[in-house]
Amino acid sequence: MAPEMSAQALWFELMQFYIREAWLLDERKFTEWLDLFTDDILYFMPRRKNVLRRELHREVTPLGDLAILEEDKRYLAMRVARLDSGMAWAEDPPSRTRHLVGNLEVTPLATGEVKARTAFLVYRSHLETDSQLLSGCRDDVLRNIDGAWRIARRTILLDANVLLDKNLSVFL
Amino acid sequence: MGAARSYAVIDPATGKLDRRIFTDEAVYADEMEKIFGRAWLMIGHESLVPAPDDFFHTYMGQDPVILTRDGAGRLHALLNMCRHRGNRVVRCDDGNQKRFMCTYHGWTYRNDGTLEHVPGESEAYYSALDKSALGLVAARVESYAGIVFATWDRDAPSLEAYLGDARWYLDTVFNRCDGGMQALGPMKWLEPVNWKTLVDNCSDNYHVPTSHLSSARVQTRWLGRPPLSHEDQFQSPNKHAFVNGHAITFREALDNAPRYMHGMSQETMRLFQDYHDATMPEAERRLGALRARRVQLANHSIFPNGILGFRLALPRGPRQTEFWHFVLLERDAPEELKRIIRIGSQANNGAAGLFEQDDVDNWRQVTEASTSPFARRQPQDLSMGLGHAGPHPDYPGLVSERYISENNQRLFYRRWQEFMNADSWADIALDPISARFDGIATMRG
Ligand code: FES
Ligand SMILES: [Fe+2]
Repeated sequence: MAPEMSAQALWFELMQFYIREAWLLDERKFTEWLDLFTDDILYFMPRRKNVLRRELHREVTPLGDLAILEEDKRYLAMRVARLDSGMAWAEDPPSRTRHLVGNLEVTPLATGEVKARTAFLVYRSHLETDSQLLSGCRDDVLRNIDGAWRIARRTILLDANVLLDKNLSVFL
Repeated sequence: MGAARSYAVIDPATGKLDRRIFTDEAVYADEMEKIFGRAWLMIGHESLVPAPDDFFHTYMGQDPVILTRDGAGRLHALLNMCRHRGNRVVRCDDGNQKRFMCTYHGWTYRNDGTLEHVPGESEAYYSALDKSALGLVAARVESYAGIVFATWDRDAPSLEAYLGDARWYLDTVFNRCDGGMQALGPMKWLEPVNWKTLVDNCSDNYHVPTSHLSSARVQTRWLGRPPLSHEDQFQSPNKHAFVNGHAITFREALDNAPRYMHGMSQETMRLFQDYHDATMPEAERRLGALRARRVQLANHSIFPNGILGFRLALPRGPRQTEFWHFVLLERDAPEELKRIIRIGSQANNGAAGLFEQDDVDNWRQVTEASTSPFARRQPQDLSMGLGHAGPHPDYPGLVSERYISENNQRLFYRRWQEFMNADSWADIALDPISARFDGIATMRG
């Protein structure tokens, strides 16, 4: 990140980054989407439990417990590559998705990386009448590599205990 | 409905299955009484409630149940229903509590189910309330190698008799090591499918090279996983075995290779092999040489709704099933190996699982085929391998000649029918335990 960049300019640049990411996903350009991640990406989606308010520290399962997703670049690449096989049945015919991403908060880190938090609503429609609204937030760590932002870590928190969708075959 | 109804849904001579059992509301209501009201149901794992006063919220079919460990360490399965009006007394997934207070009027129960406190007992109830008769309703609880089962039926046989010779196979995974297993999970999601479609799928190795080819191929390319083909499966010496409703598929291991597990890849294979070799003396001591070396449990289901190991298919109406995905790890395995198995299992299975995500639309449409008027009259064809299964000199149960067979599915629906036509446990046959359980492993672990 250029140190002289103002908070406003950084926010604007990252908001554009997330809007572009959303369009890539909704236009099914998954190979380009995959390029937005660093090679050491951790793409993590923990579970969320019902616990009492005084025990909220236990609500989100920690890294090391069973997660919904805990993927490295190779696993993400396999997920993308299989879509082209003609036999990835969960997504063939493919889902129709709409990613709305907002509520961006940006916190520059001492490492030169940036913490970026966003909220999302993702609508998924599949086959004839299946549809689902997925709500949640992303906690990202972004790294600037040769002038381009890359996602080095993504933690996705879904607003759900029992997931209501038949499967989670779309990217968030 | 109920006792008067008689079911003839599977023709053993042809394998034709009446598909109306997947969506009929009356059949479903009957199943909840006659199957889920009677059978031993897998509800949890002892490692989910390791300490005194721990609890884990679970289900017996549709009934919400609290699995508790009381202060003295005893396990209880308690219906999560306040005996006053019926509010739930627990709303958390798990925790540690000596008491459960109902949030409606404040009746308070100890974690062994005893009703301890009723507000206004002497004033409002004039001390006339028999608290001792109003504890939380308790199910019978028994464990097998750390896996907790419960049943509502006081007349049910012991869990040991219920599992019968299926345990001969189950031991090869769940009872292989002295340190026992630990459960992680569950991750939970709702699928628009009838619960039976995914239970019978546990013995359906036939679907794998079609349903899961895309993920198998990328894992061959990226992870060095052995290629998956129909040919390999048809020639495979592995088998199905069926005991008391439990559907086993297993590998006859003549090569000293470890059992297939998620997380195996070219680069991790050494770790799996080393661990397999290092633990073989322990496994032989626990299971005897034949089971330790030659029998490797693969996909299987435990009647009625235990799927692929310690995972649950919880019925939520005829056309909806809540999946609970757990991962079981051998507690004393090296941490790195446990990490690899956990990550492999969560990548392949679960709602987002590379393999499992491709299953649901199949099961969903099999379920839905029972809802339209013309389709529902056409039976399912479960004729594969008819006449090619029977007793085996080495292996207990009804054993198929091949790995790809619908033997287990036919027998699963026959067992289902037997439960549905029974008036009580007296009408439900149990195969006698006849296998030789070599080694020191027992029901208790
Ligand atoms: S319903 Fe529980 S105290 Fe009244
Ligand atoms: Fe499958």
